[in-house]
Amino acid sequence: MAETPAYRHTFVRLLGFLRPYKWSLAVSIVLAIGAQAAAVVAAFLTGDALEGAVSSDDRRTLWLVALAIAVTGLVRALFMMGRRLIAGRQALGIEYDMRNALYSKLLRLSFGFYDRHQTGQLMSRATVDLQAVRFFLGYGLIFFFQHVTTIVGVTAVMLVTNWRLAVAATAITPLIVILAYRYSSVSHPVLRDVQQKMADVATVAEENIVGVHVVKSFAQERAEAGKFARRSEEVFGRSVEANRQRATYVPLLSFLPLIAQAAVLLFGGRMVANGTLGFGEFIAFNILVVMLVMPLRMLGMWIGQMQRATASGERIFEVMDEAEEITEKPGAVELPPGEGRIRFEHLSFEYAPGRPVLEDVDLELEPGRTVALIGHTGSGKTTLASLIPRFYDATTGRVTVDGADVRDLKLTSLRRKIGIVAQDPFLFSETVFENIAFGAPGATPDDVERAARLAQAHEFIEDLPAGYDTVIGERGITLSGGQRQRLAIARALVMDPRILILDDATASVDATTEAKIRLGLREAMKDRTTIIIAHRLSTIALADELVVLDGGRIAGRGTDAELLRTNPVFREIYEHGLLEREFAERVEARA
Amino acid sequence: MRVWQPGGHLTQRRDAPEIDDWSWARTARRISTLASLTRPYKGRTMLAIVSLLLATATALAPPFLAKLAVDDGIRERDLDTLTWIVIAFVGAGVASFLTAAAQTYFTGWTGERILADLRNKLFRHLQRLSLGYFERNRAGVIISRLTNDVDALDQLVTDGVTTLVQSTLLLFGTAIILFLFDWRLALAALSVMPLMAIATALFRVRSSRAYRDVRERLGLVTATLAEDIGGIRVVQSFRREGRNQRHFEEVNAHYREANQQTVVLNGLYFPFVDFLSALATAVVIGYGGWLASQGEISVGTLLAFVLYLANFFDPVQQLSQLYNTFLAAVAALDKIMEVIDEEPEVRDNPDARDLERIHGDVRFDGVRFGYGNLPEVLHGIDLDVPAGTTVALVGHTGAGKSTIAKLLARFYDPRKGRITIDGTDLRDVKQGSLRRQLGVVPQEGFLFAGTVRDNIAFGRPDATSEQVASAARAVGAHQFILGLEDGYETNLQERGTRLSLGQRQLVAFARALLADPRVLILDEATSSVDIGTERKIEEALGKLLSDRTAFVIAHRLSTIRGADLIVVVEQGRVVEQGTHDELMTKQGLYTSLYGDWADVA
Repeated sequence: MAETPAYRHTFVRLLGFLRPYKWSLAVSIVLAIGAQAAAVVAAFLTGDALEGAVSSDDRRTLWLVALAIAVTGLVRALFMMGRRLIAGRQALGIEYDMRNALYSKLLRLSFGFYDRHQTGQLMSRATVDLQAVRFFLGYGLIFFFQHVTTIVGVTAVMLVTNWRLAVAATAITPLIVILAYRYSSVSHPVLRDVQQKMADVATVAEENIVGVHVVKSFAQERAEAGKFARRSEEVFGRSVEANRQRATYVPLLSFLPLIAQAAVLLFGGRMVANGTLGFGEFIAFNILVVMLVMPLRMLGMWIGQMQRATASGERIFEVMDEAEEITEKPGAVELPPGEGRIRFEHLSFEYAPGRPVLEDVDLELEPGRTVALIGHTGSGKTTLASLIPRFYDATTGRVTVDGADVRDLKLTSLRRKIGIVAQDPFLFSETVFENIAFGAPGATPDDVERAARLAQAHEFIEDLPAGYDTVIGERGITLSGGQRQRLAIARALVMDPRILILDDATASVDATTEAKIRLGLREAMKDRTTIIIAHRLSTIALADELVVLDGGRIAGRGTDAELLRTNPVFREIYEHGLLEREFAERVEARA
Repeated sequence: MRVWQPGGHLTQRRDAPEIDDWSWARTARRISTLASLTRPYKGRTMLAIVSLLLATATALAPPFLAKLAVDDGIRERDLDTLTWIVIAFVGAGVASFLTAAAQTYFTGWTGERILADLRNKLFRHLQRLSLGYFERNRAGVIISRLTNDVDALDQLVTDGVTTLVQSTLLLFGTAIILFLFDWRLALAALSVMPLMAIATALFRVRSSRAYRDVRERLGLVTATLAEDIGGIRVVQSFRREGRNQRHFEEVNAHYREANQQTVVLNGLYFPFVDFLSALATAVVIGYGGWLASQGEISVGTLLAFVLYLANFFDPVQQLSQLYNTFLAAVAALDKIMEVIDEEPEVRDNPDARDLERIHGDVRFDGVRFGYGNLPEVLHGIDLDVPAGTTVALVGHTGAGKSTIAKLLARFYDPRKGRITIDGTDLRDVKQGSLRRQLGVVPQEGFLFAGTVRDNIAFGRPDATSEQVASAARAVGAHQFILGLEDGYETNLQERGTRLSLGQRQLVAFARALLADPRVLILDEATSSVDIGTERKIEEALGKLLSDRTAFVIAHRLSTIRGADLIVVVEQGRVVEQGTHDELMTKQGLYTSLYGDWADVA
């Protein structure tokens, strides 16, 4: 066992989740011990009864013992029932608490954290790791105590009854624990491997089904079947390995207890024959040895489980301990009233130390105006925009909205005044209505419809099977890129934001759709400060003013006419996009 | 134990297994489907069966030998006999160990082998199916046939069948032995059986319902979690943390409630079974002790009864738990068979021949088409495209452009009319020989997990590194590929998400170019990318389209203008065709759609 201090520390921290349940844990353990004690009593009663059956023919005693066995059985059943109900409730409580705690932590972690971690990784912690921990804390510990006390208790009873026979009977038991532990630890990596290889199979399957048109187009069915078969064979190979381990250990673990039983039969039998052991005790020994088998085996398994649960716990705590980069100051204030004046004051920003993304940006955006941020990929446009709603904090310098440093503001009051539309907007598997009202919990159907009309979305929404109540996304119908985009715009507008950020919002739609969206935007941008990040000239044309970013610095600012003369970056975009722009404007004029 | 799989929550079965067809014909087919899979492994299957029977038999021996030890050894004070019986006891243990090991190994091996074969067979079958099948069914559902459903069968094949046979044999074996010992005592001991049966039946029904709830609600917890982590940026942007937290707690609490049901059911059932077992022991002791004191049975027999009863109820419980596994597996098998029964709509004619090297003359003659039983979407398309022509298909979304492209690749067959390449009807040639000479470039450049090299060489796996590089160079992708950490050997994640949209597009172009198709079908991306990439894509397109017949579903103005033939599609009909200049003079739909910018150009 790897008992490093860190390991022990994690283990102790995990036990902390039990604190609210300490009484139910204690009661469970007492009940578990009671149930096992009843079983020991029953073993001796059985021994007595059998002894009585051969030595006397006192019928009444016999029936009394039988009755006692039945009563002991009932008591044991009641103990078990109590233990199961109490411990089960506790296990579920712990799982519930942990899952909520993890979820709430995930909600509070900042964008920076999500830039560094993939959804799959996080899901793995919230499902697989959580499962391991909750199983251990919920059931494992109680079983562990139950098994340990059974082993200690039963062994003690046997020792007291006849220490020689007890030694003979239990001599082999440590081996059972060791083997069970070994099995648990050697099989785990193989079983995980099987799962991992299964995931590979699923990946190939998914690609081939989602990308079936590509496979068919290139007539690569045979090659892909080969690829699939190879992955599939790997699963087979690992499964057979896991099976081989099972075929060795499981029968072995059934066999070893038989040796203990044989020892009892052999030595106990001799002792009975030469009168040093009562026949009843002999029978009791036979039953007690059988009683030990299960706990011994499980003990080994639980030790393995405990290690894995601790490793899982470590991964969960990694997330739980992650610093929340963006938090509200203790004395945070509401966003002051204003019209949306934004200032970047000598601002620099870096995601990783020493690699600045923005350098000394000094920029003021007038209220109610529309500014387009333009520049090549990686010039820092999106980063600059995401500093306004405080998704990140500036490394040096500051951002103010209507005179207030964003770091002094309550996050809700700031972000509820900023509407953001991204290139590939994320919509939830809810109704259209709920998606639009996402950021404005109190929005009325009128509010939602108004926003949808502004975003040019009302018409297509009405055409959906259940209008605004149509469920979209994974569990509902699929929308086209342009439709999703317009819903995202409506979602931003329904909050009536002071500031609107359109981050490449029209990039993935065709020209006709873009024209429609643009029509809605013109209306929507009135009376708000709007920041547009775009490649299409036609979208850029919505702006009153252009800011060119190059390598994290401001490389130019002005109207398109001014920049066309002075700025080479803009000239390149302009010349290339001119045709499209004209086209787009005409399409719009006709729409 | 499971690992988290991306998209796993989409394919998780949330519906309960429901099997409505228990007819003999269906059942026989299910069995024969499974049996046919074991056929190649007859030897091992037989070994598995034999070892299973032996393992069960040897497992029944120890209590019987304990009886002998008591009666013939201890009671008779015959220590030699006792020693011999204990040796036999250990011997039986060794035999049980060996047979159980063999049984586990052979059943496990055969089971896993069958599953691997089934997976491969299913996959190959899916690949034979036409595109229509994949368009009609959601990807998640099809994937889950290969993953979840095969998994459900796994539980039956590897564990279920063994448990079924072994538990049944143990149950009957024990009962028979008890009756042989003493029928009166056996009857007395089994008197609790009816209670056991009733409790188990009640428990089974309730618990299968409860566990279905648990699965469903856990699925919801996972789905909520996945969606909220995926959309975390939106949640935070709109400050929905509070509401989402409350919603999640609700979903989580629902799951806990469902689970509470199972805790209560288990908490009642298992102790009750334990109690019944104690009751049976009490009856055996009371009645059996009396019989023994009367000399009717030996005390060893009594001990054997007690020992046999200790494990007698285990098989009952195992069998009842197996029931759910069994239902799930049958449901899965039905779904798998449904896929296997599916026939491809587009099939090679029996006398189909290989298409010789295509020159590239494409003709559509009065082609009419509709998907499945749905209304017609193409109403008589006539096109005559000489080899080497670049055709731009333009028109509104839903006009039928993609359908025309799919028919040309013979993903579907027309309802009426015909499509010919170099005068040969597409239905007279083998699909493989057609598609190998055809390049299809999908809209967003679908890439596969694997290296960049593998992706480019997708259509020509035997291409040399030099050929791959020169294709990449031709479309202007070479430069950025070299910039990746391992160059051409860089591993792309699923769908190539590590590359930008424009880069994926370029790789897809290189892939098409390397396959050197005679006819190219290209669906242009609608996404706008930054100016540098845009330039590259335009240049690459020019390279790709030259010297071959090409059908382009066009979105870029430069492509439309550069096409040799522009085909305007409107509501399933070709309304206009010609060069840009010809169409401009017509003042038709094209002019009204695209003509405006012509004066600017």
